[in-house]
Amino acid sequence: MVPFSLYVHWPYCTFLCRFCAFSKARVPAKGVEHERITSALLKELRTSLAPHKDKVLQSIYFGGGTPSLAQPRNIAQIIEAANSLVPLASDAEITLESNPTSAEVGKMRDFKQAGVTRYSIGIQTLDDRTLARMGRLHTGAEGLAAVDRARALFPGKVSFDMIFGFEGQTLDQWQKELETVLKHADNHISVYQLTVEPGTPLFRDRNAQRVVLPSGDLSAQMYESAVEMCTAKGFRHYEVANYAVPGSESMHNMGYWQGRQWVGIGPSAHSRFIDPSSNQRISSVRLPDIQRWAQHCEKFGHGTAKSTVISDEDAKQEAVVFGLRMLDGITDRRFAGVSGGQSLKDYLHMDRVQQYVDDGYLLWNSADAKLAPTERGLEVIDSILIDIVP
Amino acid sequence: MPQMRVIDRKKETDISTYPPDLIRNFSIIAHIDHGKSTLADRLLELTGVISKTGKNKQVLDKLKVERERGITVKAQSASMFYEYNGKKYLMNLIDTPGHVDFSYEVSRSLAACQGTILLVDAAQGIQAQTVANFYLAFGEGLAVVPMLNKVDLPTAEPERAAQQIEGTFEIDASKILHMSAKTGLGVDAVLPSVIENMPPPLGSIDQPFKALLFDTWYDKYVGVVCLMAIKDGSIKKGDRIVSTHSKQKYEVTEVGIMHPEPSPTTSLQVGQVGYITCNMKSVSEAHVGDTFYRDKHPVEALPGFVPAKSMVFAGVFPIDADEFARLDESIQKLTLNDSSVSVHKETSAALGQGWRLGFLGTLHMDVFRQRLEEEYDASILITAPTVPYQIKYRDGTTRFIRTPADFPDIHTMQDNVESTMEPFVLATMIFPERYLGQMLELCTLHRGEIQNHVYIDEARVLLKCRLPMAEIVSDFFDKLKSKSQGFASFDYEESGYEASDLVKMEVLLNNEAVDALASVMHRSTSVVAGRDMAKRLREVIRRQLFDIIIQTAANGKIVARETVKQLRKNVTAKCYGGDITRKMKLLNKQKEGKKRMKKFGKVELPQEAFLTVMTKSE
Repeated sequence: MVPFSLYVHWPYCTFLCRFCAFSKARVPAKGVEHERITSALLKELRTSLAPHKDKVLQSIYFGGGTPSLAQPRNIAQIIEAANSLVPLASDAEITLESNPTSAEVGKMRDFKQAGVTRYSIGIQTLDDRTLARMGRLHTGAEGLAAVDRARALFPGKVSFDMIFGFEGQTLDQWQKELETVLKHADNHISVYQLTVEPGTPLFRDRNAQRVVLPSGDLSAQMYESAVEMCTAKGFRHYEVANYAVPGSESMHNMGYWQGRQWVGIGPSAHSRFIDPSSNQRISSVRLPDIQRWAQHCEKFGHGTAKSTVISDEDAKQEAVVFGLRMLDGITDRRFAGVSGGQSLKDYLHMDRVQQYVDDGYLLWNSADAKLAPTERGLEVIDSILIDIVP
Repeated sequence: MPQMRVIDRKKETDISTYPPDLIRNFSIIAHIDHGKSTLADRLLELTGVISKTGKNKQVLDKLKVERERGITVKAQSASMFYEYNGKKYLMNLIDTPGHVDFSYEVSRSLAACQGTILLVDAAQGIQAQTVANFYLAFGEGLAVVPMLNKVDLPTAEPERAAQQIEGTFEIDASKILHMSAKTGLGVDAVLPSVIENMPPPLGSIDQPFKALLFDTWYDKYVGVVCLMAIKDGSIKKGDRIVSTHSKQKYEVTEVGIMHPEPSPTTSLQVGQVGYITCNMKSVSEAHVGDTFYRDKHPVEALPGFVPAKSMVFAGVFPIDADEFARLDESIQKLTLNDSSVSVHKETSAALGQGWRLGFLGTLHMDVFRQRLEEEYDASILITAPTVPYQIKYRDGTTRFIRTPADFPDIHTMQDNVESTMEPFVLATMIFPERYLGQMLELCTLHRGEIQNHVYIDEARVLLKCRLPMAEIVSDFFDKLKSKSQGFASFDYEESGYEASDLVKMEVLLNNEAVDALASVMHRSTSVVAGRDMAKRLREVIRRQLFDIIIQTAANGKIVARETVKQLRKNVTAKCYGGDITRKMKLLNKQKEGKKRMKKFGKVELPQEAFLTVMTKSE
């Protein structure tokens, strides 16, 4: 049975982070139109999942915005509707993203009741000043408390996000933060460098030179500390920005990197799937504006803004680019799914691959036909990819 | 180039009614921007050759690059008919290139004329090129008729300019015409002045056909088109003519005048100037300065020209070695119409197959590069412009150094070389007196030897200085302009070779010399240049997965060192479903960028690296 994933974008937030480039809106003064939004999501869900009845739903991911602001019963409706169209696997992973503010933390039990199996909390940093500067309305202590509570309800299924590279952050501060959160960590952590995205308030701040971010070399040191410290605590650095106790990797995200098909619903959500009627690989995205998206769903059954066909060449490239973000890399077997049988060694510039192997950046196992990065290679993987991919 | 049309016999004009005394062959010489092209336009309008609409700006500047830079690159001619005092005259305006780099083309065109208008901007007065061109024309025995232009400008000082002309060239100031080519004021007096003050061409219709070939271009339909000045006799379609130089015979397929586009005539006669097509296949067969005669009626050859000497050399290489064949074709096509570019194929250990091209000057080179990139869509690497240094060996032989690779190594230098020599130029600069200090300093800074300076009027100085040519081939002209706030003008001529302490500057990346970045320079500049080069290379070379040590060495001795530290980490941000499309786009864009890099060993060099070596920072 072909595995499938569902992504649900819930676009409202009570506070807006200065670095966030996702499509979102502040909760309106008169409150969120829960029923309207849910109804639109359900409409879009039905339209988009119907063609994939023959598949099995491996994961659902509620992202946004702040999905933990949604009503648990709406979440339940969506999970039920999904299951009725594409049956959930017995070990399906259903993740909900949450912020550490108390109102949301209190709803955990209800979300569990609604069907959520995994919790992901946005801690980002323990430094209260940085949190405030970034527009986040919670403290570091609240972040840790949220993780502790979640672990009680979702043992072994809690993850949280940490960001390094804030203005003024020293290596020492970062290491101390990491040490503290690792004491509270469950089975999964995501660690990213603060990225300045066009269109965000942080972007404007940087351009106006109101903010100065750490140098390339300092952020390299911070990244390396994360690898070292998380690995020492028993987490496997299974993807560039993700660490897990073996067996607790994020099933949903692995799907992205391993080329699994998925449908995204909600404003700005992306989808990537093979259209059963044409057998073409499609990449599509929903309208970003919440109101317009909702209107389209009401009128047409879905709010798709753009849909393009992914060529075989593109698919092959993607398979390698994303495969090599994982420490397990990519094998011919998985590559065959998009290459129509072409092997990795015929597709890639193997002379260059060999050079990187010799220099300690890549590992090539010809018996298994598996190409994977070393830790050192992972750190500079973007440079390597440009070189080895045709 | 002007398009050749299929001949239409009915449309041929008969110009046999114009004997020499009703013909004037003249050109306009001037300093850049003094209004030569505008005046030419006005005269063409006046005689009805082009219509009086706004679209006719600078008709003769046909090439895009000419219009952009406001300069004439190719000399062309235009024939006009003009009635004066009851008689109809045939006036042939022979255009001349407007830049010192093209003085070769200027002298070729002048040989086809009997007189020239010396056009001087009434606001700017005499400039260096005015002087240079005057002496060129004077040397050819031409009648020089000075005229003042732009008298309409509020800053114009016609009396002063006229006095300058009288003072410098000993021409009666009261005889100088005042005009504004832009507004048309005084322009009607120009042609009458040409008729009155310039002699008609000499020669006899009864003598055997004799013509001077003074320019050519290549047309894809008819082959080579030759511009000729008929010195004796006449010529028409069907005649057989012979080149004195190659002794090759050709049959004339069409003759005509440039009006301003090619217009066929029944014949061309003594004193007239026009074009001839004769199934000549390649411009290499046409030797400018050649004398043509009728088959079986040889004549005494006219004094010819010495081929143009290249002054500035640059290496040209395709960025992508696979593009060599296409670039070869493009360069051949471009040089078809510019025989003053010298072309030598060259192979560089670093950059593969390419060429060493010789130009008349940096402007010539720059115009060529622009045309190659724009008209032929070429992606090229241009390596440092060099001048032809010479090595004198102990056994008396000399050898040119055209590329830094030719520079002898230390052992050869010690054992076999007597001296290294560099070419010098004699430069003429004219500028307002208040910049004298700056100009003197500029010359000394560039190893110049001041010859003399004179006041050409109460406010302006003419400075003559002998400079190493190497010092003027990059940014000398720009510095001259900026230090004089644009007022200084500049011209130069060759002035032989002198012994000079030269060194080869090499760039090493991780201890390997990169041939393509090598250059030859005077020892005195080597330390500063070496340090500067290393610093600037460090800025343009992007971090790679290993440390890159940049070193510059003069004749083997290290003068500077910089390091580009290894890349420790890319920005490996998170990447989930919604990021896929964007990430792939970015990746492919970076791949494209990589294609424009050249790899030397493991080190990737962007095009900027080569430009860094070419130019000097302040």
